[in-house]
Parts: sequence; structure tokens; C-alpha cells
Amino acid sequence: MAAPDVSTLGEFEHVVLLAILRLGDAAYAVAIRDEILERTARDVSRGSIYITLDRLETKGCLRSRLADPTPERGGRAKRYYTLRPRGVEALKESRRALVALWRGLESVLA
Amino acid sequence: MSARLPRGVEALLRRLLPGDLAEPIAGDLLEEYLATRARRGARRARVWVWWQAIRLAATMRWERAAHGRGVPPIAEELKSATSVWDGLKQDVVFSVRLLRRQPGFTAVALLALALGIGGSTAIFGIVDAALWRRLPYARADRIMSLAEQRPREGRWFGPIAPADFFDWRRDNRSFSAVAAYMSQPLSRPTAYNLTGIGDPERVRALEASPSFLGVLGVSPVVGRDFRPEEETVGRHRVVLLADSLWRRRFGADPAIVGRTISFDGAAYEVIGLLPARFWWPTAPEVIVPLALSDNDRALRDAHFLDAIGRLRDGVSEQQAREDLRVIGVRLAAAFPATNANHAPNFRTLRDALVGDVRPALLILLGAVAFVMLIACANVATLLLARAAGRQRELSVRRAVGATRGRLVQQMLTESVVIALAGGAAGLLLAAWSLAAFRAIAPSQFAGLPGLAGIGLDGRAFAAAVALSMITGLTFGVVPALAATDQRLGASLTEEARGGTGSARARRLRSMLIVAELALSLVLLAGAALLIVSFRNLMSVSPGFQPMRIVTAEVRLPSSRYADHTRTVAFFDALFERLRAAPGVERVDATTSLPFAGADSRLNFQIERRTVDSPVPVRVHPRLVSSGYFSTMGIPIVRGRGFTDRDEAASTEVVVINQAAVRRYWPGEDPIGQRISIGAPGRWREIVGIVGDTRHEGLDADADPAAYVPQHQRFTDLGAGFERAMTLVVRTDADAAAMTAAIRGAVANLDAQLPIGMVRAMTDLIDESVAPRRLNFLLVSSFAAVALVLTAAGLYGVMAYVVAQRTREIGVRMALGATHAQVLALMFRQAGALTAIGIGLGVGGALVLTRSMTSLLFGVTAGDPLVFAAVSALLALVAAAAIAVPSSRAARIDPLAALREA
Repeated sequence: MAAPDVSTLGEFEHVVLLAILRLGDAAYAVAIRDEILERTARDVSRGSIYITLDRLETKGCLRSRLADPTPERGGRAKRYYTLRPRGVEALKESRRALVALWRGLESVLA
Repeated sequence: MSARLPRGVEALLRRLLPGDLAEPIAGDLLEEYLATRARRGARRARVWVWWQAIRLAATMRWERAAHGRGVPPIAEELKSATSVWDGLKQDVVFSVRLLRRQPGFTAVALLALALGIGGSTAIFGIVDAALWRRLPYARADRIMSLAEQRPREGRWFGPIAPADFFDWRRDNRSFSAVAAYMSQPLSRPTAYNLTGIGDPERVRALEASPSFLGVLGVSPVVGRDFRPEEETVGRHRVVLLADSLWRRRFGADPAIVGRTISFDGAAYEVIGLLPARFWWPTAPEVIVPLALSDNDRALRDAHFLDAIGRLRDGVSEQQAREDLRVIGVRLAAAFPATNANHAPNFRTLRDALVGDVRPALLILLGAVAFVMLIACANVATLLLARAAGRQRELSVRRAVGATRGRLVQQMLTESVVIALAGGAAGLLLAAWSLAAFRAIAPSQFAGLPGLAGIGLDGRAFAAAVALSMITGLTFGVVPALAATDQRLGASLTEEARGGTGSARARRLRSMLIVAELALSLVLLAGAALLIVSFRNLMSVSPGFQPMRIVTAEVRLPSSRYADHTRTVAFFDALFERLRAAPGVERVDATTSLPFAGADSRLNFQIERRTVDSPVPVRVHPRLVSSGYFSTMGIPIVRGRGFTDRDEAASTEVVVINQAAVRRYWPGEDPIGQRISIGAPGRWREIVGIVGDTRHEGLDADADPAAYVPQHQRFTDLGAGFERAMTLVVRTDADAAAMTAAIRGAVANLDAQLPIGMVRAMTDLIDESVAPRRLNFLLVSSFAAVALVLTAAGLYGVMAYVVAQRTREIGVRMALGATHAQVLALMFRQAGALTAIGIGLGVGGALVLTRSMTSLLFGVTAGDPLVFAAVSALLALVAAAAIAVPSSRAARIDPLAALREA
């Protein structure tokens, strides 16, 4: 199996990774979605959150763990996500690329 | 409140979500569900959670199918939304390439689908136009066709007597307008002689109440509609022209309104033009007011009007029915002699127009749907066999990282591509068959709404595309799932070693073949029943000798032939001239030619008979010239026919048919008795009894009829009755040759008089069975297609089995099995499938053919002989399809087989 190429992140992947970073220990799907809604006013579908999390995990950007079941969730576990080094790298790389491209354009789009 | 998801949601998620995600996602959803419930209430939360669960399940399924976790190729992984489309494009290109590489498979699949989709689209077009499309009138569902029902005679929608119609019109509260028109058969519409400009010509006319267009919601484009007073004799000489006639005969003269034209020798003022798009089943070229004489207006025992009415706003059909019922009861009480057991009745105009052909059309639709299913099953078996052959390719693709979902998507794309290509070919086929249908559609079909303009329009196109997509997915999904099934995959590798596939794969193929056989049998049974019915019908004797008879209608205008003696003199002179024409053996005439549409009935009385009859005492009065019976070849059973001595001044006589004797004089000799037809007290002596003739069709039993000699005045059906006669000429010449002779003879006597179409009697009979012929031809061709497809399917499956079992057969033969034993082995397997298919088909056909009862004649829907014959035929075809690959198996060289394996 070839190592997935993570040198480019999709825009939404970028957003999801940042939301997870912001949430720290509390990053699970519902919280991630709320965080994105709150910060960017984007009401994204639940499906796309799960899909993106799934993909990022497959790529090796994320790690997930199942927390202990809680009664308020009908005895179901939460899946918490944290960034792996590869994910951090990918974020940095994306940021670098974006900043480089943005340089000098602020006045145009301000 | 319980901390649980609604039960169905729970199950949905558990079933459809990938296992590792099901639990956390269900947990997340529950959390949000509870929050939503607290905020927005239980009901809204439940709707919300269902919607979310369905969306989630669908997205996650698709995601995992298209880019599952397995080992996703990077390129695909990085595309998100666009990847679906790109993948599809890639699949389509790949499919086309594959199909081009396997021309044999492609040709067979395309042919099957083109036949299925083309046939279905064409029939859909016809059925859609006839049964489902709106009639071209404003709020057409409010237009009713009124009729008089006579339950004792089994007639529910019969023509109406004029006096009854006028009473209904005056007394009803349910219709905003009611209009009567002359009842006329579609095949022989009323025609007027248009004279005064160029050659005289007969134009199709409709005589209708002034409110006729109002009921339909149509207005003239130029000029005005009829006025109410224009239905009185004397003020009725006004006419509305159809667009076609206006262009053809009047050069689209813009100043046409106000012009005077001549019909039947009388001057009519053109008051308006009908819209170019105006449609009515008989396609009238002119509409004139229905103006009945005072005598005719008072008739209650002669039924010759049809009527339409528009329901008042806010009045339901039920209320209208009750309203008319009360009027009917009152009339029956007031006029018991004529109206007892008669009542008004109505149905929607569309039902009235398509009533008779609806079952035939629905049968056709069912038959073509069966062909479609067989085509699908056929292509599915082909795909299944093909998928088995592609197992290596599929394994390789899987090994390099394609998921099952991805492979299924690819294979489904292939089948949809095939189906769409088949659909395109089918559309061509449909366009072609619709054009053919338009050309051969019998006149009975011509009255169907929308049939004239039938063709491939948006709706038919949409139907074809939808059919293609649906069939592509239907026949593709089973083979795709089967081919990519891992368990099946393992068994297919085993197959390469000499087995015939896992039990599942074998069962699938068997089921498809059995389904094809069963469906074919149903179609064959239906077709056979229609063929037998048609043969039975054609062997029915019409009761006269139709060969070498040529007919032509001659209608004298009332303006110049108001007088009985003038009318009789004209026809006598015409007979005289025609008898001198070359090739003419005999010439006579009748008012009511068989197979030329329905004829009127009148009450009659039998002298000195006072017993009340349990059935209405009625006959069809028919005015005939003296030699009519000999000319037509109608046998005289007892007494005598008419002679030239049956003059106006001599004793009034009548000849009745055997049906009348059976019904009104059972076990009695009617000769010498006297009857009075229509108006009471005008006694005519019965001098002879003639054989029955079929009148309305070969399948309609003969009704009681009374023949009156032409010279003896008969006015009870109105004065126009005797002026419209049909010539019957016994001749060796054909209709074309006779046309000139008849036209010449008529022109010699009256240059202003055109003649109707000259037609051979045999053509009229043929025309009367044309819908049945069309029906059985169509269903038979569907059955033939089904048979070919099934045989091809069976052949394909057996060829595949033989190929797969080559090694096994080789071993058997090496161990001493004979050719015959190998052959028997193959036949046992395929024979069992055939037997099951036929058995199921017979069962299905027994149920389904019952719906055809109204289309059958002289054979019951479950006729054992028919079923045995079609079963035998199907078994024979199946045996032939099995024999070719099986004999190939029996010729296998054991050594070669073993070496190859």
C-alpha cells in the first residue's frame, strides 16, 4: 500500500482539521460540526463531516478513539478525533502554500 | 423521556451504516435528536431524525461504495464531489469500448432491448393518446356523453329517441348545455352533396344541436356559432365549415362568411369557420343544425340521436345521474308503450369514445410489457454468462484496489449504456411502427382521441428513456451483484476447474430462464386465443354471398326528391341503366346495408295478438328493392320474396327474417299474419321468411328484421330514410371499374348528384374485423419476438453450461459414457427448466387470459387444446435451442477435453 499523498488538503479537510485542533480533547462529530458552524457560519451536512473524518483517518492525518459509553447517548460510545503528526504537517503545508499565494493580494481583495 | 432513537431509525442505521461507524454515528444522532426534541417537540424531532438518518445512510453508503476504506487509489481519493462524475465518465468510456470489442453479445443484447423498448414505446404512444391524454376541449372531464339505456335488451348506452332528448334537455337541472347529433357509425359518417363549385362532392357532415360547440367549449374562429332558433326547419340552412374544407374547396377565401353554398341542392349560408385544431371523432368537414320535422321531434320509438352535455359547475356526476333518473321515471310513467324500462344514462365523453377499444389496448400494453420483461431477463442471462467470463478481469481490478461498490457501479454503468443504446434503437423502431400503425389503423381506431397526430413526442420519448434506464438497472443489478460477490467469486474460480458454478449462480440462471419461458407461454397463449378467435369469426357465414358484390351509397336531396314517387322513379331508372352496363349481372338497393353500421329499430304490433310480450317487440325495418334477396344471395326460407308486382297501390307486404320468427312466432307460422311497424294501424302482410344476415359484425347475432318493398311507402323513420339507399351490384367487375359505371349512370339521371364511395362487399366485411385482425397480428408478433428471445436465452445458457462442463463430459466419456448418455444428461437439465417454465406459464396464462374474454370468439379463455398446443410449441422450440449445444457436448473428444483442462 502506497503512502497516501497528503501534500494537498481539500478545502473542507483543511477546515475540519482546524476545527479538531481548536476543540482539543472534545473533538467528536457533533462538536466539530458545531464549531464549524459557529466560526464560519457554514451549516455543513452531517454526512460530509463523517465522510471527511473517515477519509482523513484513512490518509493517516487523524487518529480516533472510542470513549466509554455514556447513558445520555443510549449507552453508545463517542468517537473522538485527534491529529496525527501527518495531519499537522499537512495543515502546515497547506497554510504555507496559501500564505505564499496570498502574499501581495490583500489589497486586491480587501 | 426515553433516551432512544425511534425504532425504525435505529434499524436503518444499523443496517445501512458501515459497522465501525454505526455506533458513534447513532450516538451522535441520538444526542442531537434529544436536543431537537427538547427544543422543537417530539413530532418535529421525529421527522428531523428520520430525514437525517436517511441522508446519512445514503451518503455513507455511497461514500463507502465509491471510495471505500479498502485501499483507495490516491487519485480518486483526492477528488471529492467531482469524482463521482469523473468515475461515471470513465465507466461509460470503458463500457463503450467493451461493447465494441464483443460485437456478438452487443448485437444480441441491443436487438432484444430495441424490440422490447421500441414495442413498449410504440404501444405506450397509442395507449397514451387514446386513454390518458386530455381531450382537446376545455375542461373535458365535465363533458358527458348521454345515452338511453334499455337494460332489458342489454343495451346500456344506446341512441336516444328525439322526443326523449327534448324532454331531458328541457327538464334537467344538471347540465349547462346539452346537444344532440345524428348517431352515425365512424366507418360511414353522414355525408352531404356539395354542389355548385367544381365537381359535386360528398363531404362529411355533422348534424348537431345549435349548442353543440358550446358544450365542447369551442368557438368559431371567424363568424358566429349557431343560434338556438336555427334548429327549426326553415331556419336551419346555415353551416359552419371546417378549416380543411375551407382551404381545399374555397381556397381559404377570407370573405367566406356570408357566402351561400349548396348542399343536397339547397342553399346554405356559411356563418362561421371552425378552428383548424377542432377535433371530433367523425372528422366532420361541415356542421349544420340538427333540424327535425315536427313529426320527427315527437318520435319516442325511433332511436337515432346521440347527445353530449356539459355538467353545470358544482354539480356532481352523482347529482346529475339522480336528476336524469327522475326524468326517466316520469317519462316511463307517462309513455309506457315506448318508454317502459328506458332510462337516461351517461358516461364521460372519453369513456364513450374509447369504450370498445379499451380492453384491446390494455391487452396490447400488457403483452408488450411481457416482451419487455423477457428482453430484460434475456439480457440479464447474457450479462451473467459474460460476467462469469470476466471473472479474471474483475479479480485483477479488485486486487489493485477497486471496491465491490466500485465494480458494481462499473457493471451497472455498462448495462445502462447497453440499455440506452437499445433504447435509441428502440425509438427508431417505435417511430417506424407508429407510422405503420397510422397507415393501417382500422377506422374503428380512427375515432380515438389524439390518434391522428400520434407520433414520438416528448412523452413517448421520456417513456422510452425512463424504460431504458429502469431496464438497464433492473437487468444489470443481479449479474453485477452476483459477479462481484466474493462467495460467488470463489465458486467461479472453482468453475474454471470444471464445475458449473455455485448453487447460487446456477439458481440465478435457472430462474431467469424459467421466467422467460413462463412469460413466453403466457404471450403465446394470448396470441393463440386471438388467432383461434379470428379464425372462428372468419368462418362465420354472414348469411349472404358477399363475393362479387359492389356497393355504393346514393343519397337524394330532399329539395328535389321530396316526393315518394320521384324517389322511386329515380332508383328504377338507375337500376335500368346499370343493368345495361357491361359486366353487371344484377342491381338492387337497400336502406340498410349489412356491415355498414347500425340500423334503426321500431316497435311493431302483431295483428290480433294481445298478450303482453316479456321482451320489447321490435324489428329493424329495411327498405329494399324487389330483387334484393336474390342479388345478395339471401335464401328465402318460406313463402316468397318481393316482385315487381309489390307496387305502391297493391297490398302492403313485408318479409321477415328467421330471427323475428324465432323471437315472436315460436312454433307458429307467421305467413299470412299482419304486422304494423312504427305508426299503429298500417297493416302489412307477411309473405315470406328469409335467412338471417349478420348486420353489425360477424360476431353480432342477427336481430329480428322486417323487409319492406321500396315501392311501398314507409315513413316511420322519417322521409329521409327512403332517399338514402345503398346500391348492391352483383358483377364480375371490381370496385374501381364499377365506380365509373355507377357515376356515369347517376350523372346521366341527375348531374348534380355525387355518389358515395364504391366499395366491394368483401372489403366492408374485412373492415368490420380489422380491429380484431390488428389485435391478433400485434399480439402474435409480440409472441413471436418472445419465442425468439426465449430460444436465444435458452441456447445461450446451454452453450455456456456445455462450455463449462467440457472437462467433466470428457471424463465421463473417457469412462465409457455414450453420446446418447451425454445428450440425455444435457437434456435432463434443460428439460426440467423448460417443464417448470411451461408449467408456471400455463398457470399464469390461465389467470391472465381471463381478462381477454371480451376479445375472444368461439373459444374460452382456458381452452385446453390451445394451451396444449402452445405448450407443445414452446417445448419444441426449447428442445431445438437445447439440441445444438447439447450435440456439441456429445461430440466432445475426451482426450482433447482432458488435455485442455
